[in-house]
Amino acid sequence: MPILQVDNLSKQFDGLVAVNDLSFSIESGEIRGLIGPNGCGKTTTMNMLAGLYRPTHGDVRYHGKSILKLPTHTRTAQGIMRTFQIPKLFSEMTVGENMMVPALATSTVKTPEFIEKLEHKSSEKLTFCKLDHVSHLLAKQLSGGQRMLLQIARGLMVEGLELFLMDEPFAGINQVTKETIMDAILEMNKDHGITFLIVSHEMPSVRRLCQTVSVMHEGSMISEGSIEEIANNPLVIEAYLGGQNAAS
Amino acid sequence: MDLTSFTQYVLSGLVIGVIYALMAVSITFVHGMMKIVNWSMGEFYMIGCFVQYLLVTRFVGPDLWVLGIPVAFCLVFLFGMGIQRYLLRPMFMGEAERLDEYATIITITLMVLFRNLAIIIGGPYQYSVPDYFPPTDLGPLPISGNRFMALVGTVLILGVFYFVMKKTWAGRALQGMSQNRIGIQTAGINVRRLDEIAFGIGVGLAAAAGALLAPVFLVWAESGSVPTMKGFEIIVIGGLGSIPGSIIAALLLGLIESLGSVYISSVYRDLFGFVFLILILVFRPNGLFGERERLA
Repeated sequence: MPILQVDNLSKQFDGLVAVNDLSFSIESGEIRGLIGPNGCGKTTTMNMLAGLYRPTHGDVRYHGKSILKLPTHTRTAQGIMRTFQIPKLFSEMTVGENMMVPALATSTVKTPEFIEKLEHKSSEKLTFCKLDHVSHLLAKQLSGGQRMLLQIARGLMVEGLELFLMDEPFAGINQVTKETIMDAILEMNKDHGITFLIVSHEMPSVRRLCQTVSVMHEGSMISEGSIEEIANNPLVIEAYLGGQNAAS
Repeated sequence: MDLTSFTQYVLSGLVIGVIYALMAVSITFVHGMMKIVNWSMGEFYMIGCFVQYLLVTRFVGPDLWVLGIPVAFCLVFLFGMGIQRYLLRPMFMGEAERLDEYATIITITLMVLFRNLAIIIGGPYQYSVPDYFPPTDLGPLPISGNRFMALVGTVLILGVFYFVMKKTWAGRALQGMSQNRIGIQTAGINVRRLDEIAFGIGVGLAAAAGALLAPVFLVWAESGSVPTMKGFEIIVIGGLGSIPGSIIAALLLGLIESLGSVYISSVYRDLFGFVFLILILVFRPNGLFGERERLA
């Protein structure tokens, strides 16, 4: 059974159809790429998967059960985490607080032992994401790459994380941080079996990480396969280059 | 004019500033958390005034006046949570297209409803809560006992509020919501619940302000209109959403009104605040502590 099954998903904003009858599935343990030209509906799809947008039509199933009616925080509690191209951090809090606040605010147990355990986990995840040396800084003092890493580290604090939805994790980030993020993704996938759906325009990163890539165009899925397969698909070439350019 | 008189005027201004601060903090707190302006805040203040009036005159007597503050806060807190859940929540559920317009219509409707209900129940009369504390001195400033207790009560409530917001994890979650509403949801926190709590705390603070100030001013259906007007003035001067800004702006407004009344004319007392507001808007459009919103 796939970990995530998307069936005939559509999203309409007034007259604009952002996502149109989209269907795909992701197997547990997979690292899936989701690509497509700007405005093709990738981020809208991610928002529907995370519960931030309500679909106009269709269904999203997680481990075979529909999660359509679940709010975002319940989806997170069930192991689905989403990151954003512009990191959604608590800018006036320290890196450490960004890591701790969600877990402590949702927990009914706040014993010193529990807090200590959580601090240990937070420190471990920050070290994993190479942010341990900046844990005392405010989130707004971090560089763009560090903010992205903090989003990922905060995601790792979610108990029972199974599906990580990443929206443009490499956009506007230097090569060293990109490598750190890619290494982290591969390690989380290999060691903890976390499944990833990664939206990206960075084809070298997608090539390195993803076994299968899905391609969207004008709200619909037009191709799915290995990076080589989609690169040779005329529909994909036409979507990226336009009909006339593709022909010439 | 001697130094003692000047000190008295300054102290008097600061006292009224502290009293204004509680109302301003309640307005800016709701705005900071939910990004809405609650136009009915004055009516929650008015409910707090009536709760205090009824407790002192009918139920517990002036000796136990202090009970009015937690009772008003708790009643209005629960009432506010219900209002948020059933009337305001739909705007965050993708069921309202223009959030600001939706919130404006709902809260203005509540304002009209509560004012008219108060007139139906209490009539068009003005009630006064009997004094429950003898006059005292604050340094060189002779001050009425009720006003002194309102000052002490406001400082204590603001202190508790500061402690909850800064030192508890629930308070930090509320701060997180004000800093990034989407981030807090994807981090696994139930933002709908936080909205209810935040709105409840905001209107509860307004009710506590009403309970504290009931014996200082009169109690009637429109008791809340002046504190609300001052509150909005203060939050624009201090910067929308900034709690420290609201407190400092409240103190400044109190000082300006007090000194302006003495050195210019007490007839224009309310005008001084608006002139100050206009000057702030000309030179610092985002208020003293407001930050320009980042759009990208």
